[in-house]
Amino acid sequence: MRYAFFPGCKIPYYVPHYGASSRRVLQELGIELVDLEFNCCGYPMSHLYYQSSLLAAARALAMAEAQGLDVLTPCKCCFGSFKRSMHALSQEPERRRQVAEELAKEGLAFPVKSQVKHLLSVLYHDLGLPALRQRVTRPYQHLKVAVLYGCHALRPSRVTGFDHPYAPTIIDQLVEVTGAQSIAWAGKLSCCGAPLLEHNPELSLAIINRRLSECREGGADVLAIACPYSQMQAERAYAVPRPAADRELVTGAVLYPQLLGLAMGLTSEDLTLSLNTPDAGYLLSFLSGA
Amino acid sequence: MFLKVGVIVALAACALGLAYKIRLWLTVAIGPEAQGISAGQRAAAALKGLGRAILSPRLGAMLKALALDGLLQRRVWNHSRLAWLTHICIFVGFLGLLLLHALGDVLAKHVFSGYQPTVNPYLFLRNLCGALVLAGVGLAIYRRATLPGLKLTTRGLDRLALVLLAVIILSGFALEGLKIVSHQSFERMVKEYPPAGGEPAEVAALEAYWAREFGVAFPDGRGQGGAQALEMGRKLHEETCADCHAPAQWAFLAYGLGKALGPAGVSLSGTGEEALWYLHVLASLLGLAILPFTKFLHLFTTPLLLAVRAGIDRKQLSPANLATLRAYELDACMHCSVCSVHCSVGVAYPEVGNQNILPGEKLAALMRLCGARPGAPSPRELRLIRQGAYICTSCLRCTNLCTAGINLQDLWLAMKADLARQGLGSTYHDVRQALGRAAQPSRLTPVVRLGNGQPAIHKELKASALAGNFSSCYKCITCSNACPVVHMYPRPLEELDLLPHQIMHCLGLGLKEEAMGARMTWNCLTCYHCQEACPQGVLVADILYELRHLASPQAADLEV
Repeated sequence: MRYAFFPGCKIPYYVPHYGASSRRVLQELGIELVDLEFNCCGYPMSHLYYQSSLLAAARALAMAEAQGLDVLTPCKCCFGSFKRSMHALSQEPERRRQVAEELAKEGLAFPVKSQVKHLLSVLYHDLGLPALRQRVTRPYQHLKVAVLYGCHALRPSRVTGFDHPYAPTIIDQLVEVTGAQSIAWAGKLSCCGAPLLEHNPELSLAIINRRLSECREGGADVLAIACPYSQMQAERAYAVPRPAADRELVTGAVLYPQLLGLAMGLTSEDLTLSLNTPDAGYLLSFLSGA
Repeated sequence: MFLKVGVIVALAACALGLAYKIRLWLTVAIGPEAQGISAGQRAAAALKGLGRAILSPRLGAMLKALALDGLLQRRVWNHSRLAWLTHICIFVGFLGLLLLHALGDVLAKHVFSGYQPTVNPYLFLRNLCGALVLAGVGLAIYRRATLPGLKLTTRGLDRLALVLLAVIILSGFALEGLKIVSHQSFERMVKEYPPAGGEPAEVAALEAYWAREFGVAFPDGRGQGGAQALEMGRKLHEETCADCHAPAQWAFLAYGLGKALGPAGVSLSGTGEEALWYLHVLASLLGLAILPFTKFLHLFTTPLLLAVRAGIDRKQLSPANLATLRAYELDACMHCSVCSVHCSVGVAYPEVGNQNILPGEKLAALMRLCGARPGAPSPRELRLIRQGAYICTSCLRCTNLCTAGINLQDLWLAMKADLARQGLGSTYHDVRQALGRAAQPSRLTPVVRLGNGQPAIHKELKASALAGNFSSCYKCITCSNACPVVHMYPRPLEELDLLPHQIMHCLGLGLKEEAMGARMTWNCLTCYHCQEACPQGVLVADILYELRHLASPQAADLEV
């Protein structure tokens, strides 16, 4: 399996541990990643520069298509943005014509074949749970995980097609493969607050705080995330000094490839656990044989 | 005499310029951490920090960076082989000319025994170096004229550097070529170093030999001679001239140029040489005098930065040294535009058309913003700079690619903080404020205005394939109940002005300002809970998106 890897704009500087652990785990699973010099997916400019955001999505997909590759992104927002932009372009012939014209200037053809897939979709659909199960050599014991599905992957479900919008199971199944238990909790399908990070920081922080305390109330040991924006949000919440009255938060947030990689026998260095805020080394104590 | 005075004046100007630059490195403050530190404190901290880095085990890494990134230009190589070839041609050629030619009398003469500009290898090397610079300048002009990203960002200082280089080298070649064929130069030399007896017949023989072998163009039929004269000329040449004159053909470019002059060489001899000499010397001295304010400065600043960054940990720097490093980095940029060509949001340029999106141009704007370059930005320019600053996603690519090793990411974050201090936060924030204010008067009116006929907003929303079905809403409130933003407030109406179902209702009534100005519209998380839940299939989140898109002209007003 071979994909064009689309890390998105947040991984290199803000969440390098997500990039490093994704690459390491995919390498271990025999999935080959090709690095192209992609532009932004268009999501960050989608509010005020709509046409640019459509062009951005189409351009990146066109670059992958020129290589005959599908795009694999670990970012839910990139994934959702690609899906929504390509959907919008399929509905709006005039915008599509403008985008195709702009692409033609660079010798790129409007993309029609290449698909964007989220990291978890690739693991679940393209690789499959049985293959993953085989690779889990030291499953977790008594680890309770709260999973966050991520708005832009789940909805609008008719456009993104990631999983069932109200009763999704993909991430729960991917977590349970590692021996951990995926718990039921209030915020599973809700928002991490990231889209308002720059526009309304107070509200954005209040939302992620609520998610992190819902995790705790649900009895989770850790929150599992598969999106750089959600991870940034969680880490920001832990970095802010908290008032005493604030409800307690779950112990920490880990990225799904880190969770999976440890159970596959990779080390905490391989998975850069120390780059998480707080350090995700506590996961090791849940591994069987620990 | 002219040359001596000229060199002194140019050196003095250069030194003054450098002193001015050093003052800027110690006073320009970028970012909140950099404020309120005196130049004295910064100078002391910089000297201490540099000393510590040089005495630390990281010295090896610094020297390695200096060799690989500075001399061999590894970062340029990684970016583009053609760019590397262009740059290395100019670098090696120019350095060679500087050491072997410009500093010939003060340096080469003392280092190499038997140094004479007219003997080999110096004669040949000078032409080779000149040819390298010319090839590099040609490639640079080709790249800047043909590569779209470079073409877009080429500006005055880039042209000045190339023109100055071209004038210096071309005038040098022309001067050398003319000297080769000049009979007046020949006569001056004969006067100074007369052949054996100095009899007219002997001079005529030497003339004949030099006309044939060296291409000297003599007037009035001079320089002719049979085999006998030539043989005599050869002997005289070997006795008197050969020690200091390698065959002129070794100066391959200059010789060719001189020969190409043909008979014109006769009339240009003397005054032409003098004019070219002045042109060559003045252009070179001008380059030296204004060096601190041209791209040539990077010849010194960039390698030093590349070495320093290998010797320090930026995260551990004191505020004083961080301030100095940021100010210094501005002068390490040679505007190669690698950052702009590869910028991940450069894709917005066709729509937005603001050069401040592109990192290299944004850096130039930052220089004016922080006072490192003259011309403080006007309010309009400030808004354009803000637009560039906020389209940036901080993806780190420009920092990773910068051939000078500038930590652009750090500069961008500091610049955003500075803009915010001047009241220029995100455009999104300002658009939200402006539209909210516009919606206020009608919100205070107790009776809802009814739109007349077909309200403008209907037409605007129907134009979008995704936002036209607001009228299917039957106000069941499912969307508002599903909204996580609404959930965050005990009294959401007071915080959000309107809830999602009310916005759909407003749109049905054609109340554009209310819908676009509602804080709900601008605090939408784009989580799509509302849209997913709507029993009528109203694309609630897409409609809210479209309302923000419709504000783009307002955004443009705030930006321009």
